[in-house]
Amino acid sequence: MLRIEELTKVYPNGTRALNGVSLTIPTGQFVAVIGLSGSGKSTLLRCINRLVEPTSGRVFLDDIEVTAATDLRCIRRRIGMIFQHFNLVKRSTVLTNVLSGRLGYTSPVASLFHVFGTQDYADARASLARVGLSEKESQRADTLSGGQQQRVGIARALMQKPDVILADEPVASLDPATAHSVLDHLEQMNKRDGMTVLCNLHFLSIARRYADRVIALKAGQIVFDGSPEEIDDSRFKQIYGEDAVQVEIA
Amino acid sequence: MTTSPLHKPKPAIAVALSVLLPGLGQVYSGDRRRGFAILISVEMLVWLKLALHALASNAQPTGSIFVSAVGVAGWIATIANLVTYLWSIWDAGRSAGISDAPMGRTWDYVLAVMLLCVPQGIIVGVHLTWAGLARSYPSQTRVLTQIGSALVHPDMATQKSVERTAVGRYTVGPGASQPTSQQRDRTMPRLTISPSTAAKGDKLVLVGTGFPAGAQGTLTLLGTDERPVGEFGVDSAGRFVASFVNPRGIPGDYFMEARVRVLTGGWRVSDTLAESARLMVQTVILALIGTAISLVFALPLSFLGARNLMSGAPALRVLYGLTRGVFTILRSVEVLIIAVMAVAVFGIGSAAGVIAIAIHGIGALGKLYSESIESIEHGPIEAIRATGANELQVVVYGVVPQVVPQYIAFTLYRWDINVRMATVIGLVGGGGIGSQLIQYMNLLQWPQAATALWLIAGVVMAMDYASAVIREKVI
Repeated sequence: MLRIEELTKVYPNGTRALNGVSLTIPTGQFVAVIGLSGSGKSTLLRCINRLVEPTSGRVFLDDIEVTAATDLRCIRRRIGMIFQHFNLVKRSTVLTNVLSGRLGYTSPVASLFHVFGTQDYADARASLARVGLSEKESQRADTLSGGQQQRVGIARALMQKPDVILADEPVASLDPATAHSVLDHLEQMNKRDGMTVLCNLHFLSIARRYADRVIALKAGQIVFDGSPEEIDDSRFKQIYGEDAVQVEIA
Repeated sequence: MTTSPLHKPKPAIAVALSVLLPGLGQVYSGDRRRGFAILISVEMLVWLKLALHALASNAQPTGSIFVSAVGVAGWIATIANLVTYLWSIWDAGRSAGISDAPMGRTWDYVLAVMLLCVPQGIIVGVHLTWAGLARSYPSQTRVLTQIGSALVHPDMATQKSVERTAVGRYTVGPGASQPTSQQRDRTMPRLTISPSTAAKGDKLVLVGTGFPAGAQGTLTLLGTDERPVGEFGVDSAGRFVASFVNPRGIPGDYFMEARVRVLTGGWRVSDTLAESARLMVQTVILALIGTAISLVFALPLSFLGARNLMSGAPALRVLYGLTRGVFTILRSVEVLIIAVMAVAVFGIGSAAGVIAIAIHGIGALGKLYSESIESIEHGPIEAIRATGANELQVVVYGVVPQVVPQYIAFTLYRWDINVRMATVIGLVGGGGIGSQLIQYMNLLQWPQAATALWLIAGVVMAMDYASAVIREKVI
């Protein structure tokens, strides 16, 4: 279970990205976070694993207070993260990128010399097989297409054996067909492995297709929290503004 | 360069152009005739001024009324020149302000005028600098010719040859003189001196046998300054006869050496080239060691000097500032100055050169390394951090793979620069080929100096090319 209490983030330049956000997400839920650019979606996700330090408020993962923890290593390794721009190390091989998902578990000294256990290698190959990229393991990451790179990103997150997946616009840089294959992987991780998924999305149609629950942010505050079916035209205009028109994506 | 026809000329640009070249501002403002008139009159004044000054400084006799008058005229021309110049600048601003001429192709005219004036600028520049050179160094042409011909004919190869020598003996003053009987083999060269005893000023006859037929040779009185005291030509029978006046008055035995050099055909690498090549290799290695030492220090320090890694706690930011400060200080002191100090501490030789290169290199490489860390993508670092990796793991998995190619490229580039620096450092006693080169030049041994210069140029070019190729491969 993920619990967020009165989370607020004010950036040094004065931008109030989050303004008193409170949420409770039961284990195993697929939550889509929607909202305009700049509404605070990315900040919300990054405050959960403290890539961004919240200004105030508290985050709990099960009963551990993330915001009070001094050793983030044990918390972060339970939270996998997937990014809009994949964030692979381009010059490293696919396998090294996947193995780096294991860094939160391996002994720091051993990993400095690129030493991983045989189990780690087996897991990495299994993860790559799961996302259908077994034959790419020794290629450089930047030789892959966007969709393939995002699947490597998923394999890297799988290596953490996480309880929670944070996906920050995972399909915003991909074409619709590739986007669905990536989201199918996320859905599988949610349904089959029981991981809680928190996914920022631009398109409501995608949220409707995959999410159990939709949270809408506007100017750092929650303006909607409910099932995808509840979002009608008036709700939509409330979230995205009066001039917005719904766009369907295949 | 594109301007709409309705665009008004700007006085500031007109003034700036006129500062650059009188009349250009007027051309820009659309009044081309006025601009050219100003340009030509100012230019005529410049030439008049130069001519008058040249006449005044060269005319004879100095101090005559005529020369003084020319001098005064020169100064008047200079002042007129200055006044016209300033007025043309003021006029450019004024005419740009009132102009309503279309701007159409104005910039093309401005460019054309500037291009036309480039050769003139070169002529004036050459005239001024060469006039100065001519006054300071009367022998410049001779030296230039020597250097030029040395560069065309560097001392790279010598014809293969063998030397044949024979030594004869005579005695000054009393003393039982044994006949010289050092060589019994008839095919070996042999030198007989008669009479075998002599006083100062006596004429001695030298007879040589067994020398290579037709060869030319030199005679040297051994033991003192050993400069040739005479020359001889060998006849077809391998014999020569020469005479010589004994310069020595102090009693004792004296030895005269006859030496011929016979070409055996073919060429070999000259001693200069062999020695220069050895020193060139030494220089390259010296630069390599210097680069390696600076690498060892700059590599770890570069992480401390990268703003994106050190932006966390205030202590980190202080460390960042300190590291960058050290880099800047090391880099800002010219390597030649460090070399002079290193020579003072460690003495003349390669050690001083290596240390100078290393110290300067820490600053230079450190800055380049740090900047390549600062230019990496932040995304992968965020992703690695999100997996639970600690800061060291983030550096190893997120930062290092991204900077390795730049590090290799910068290190090669630095080595390349350091080879050039090492030659200069050699001039102040830092070892390597530079030390040899400055010796050759000080002794005016231009062909030898040319050999070293060509070698340096060749090696620098080769390294330049090689490092460019490797850089392209790794990035």
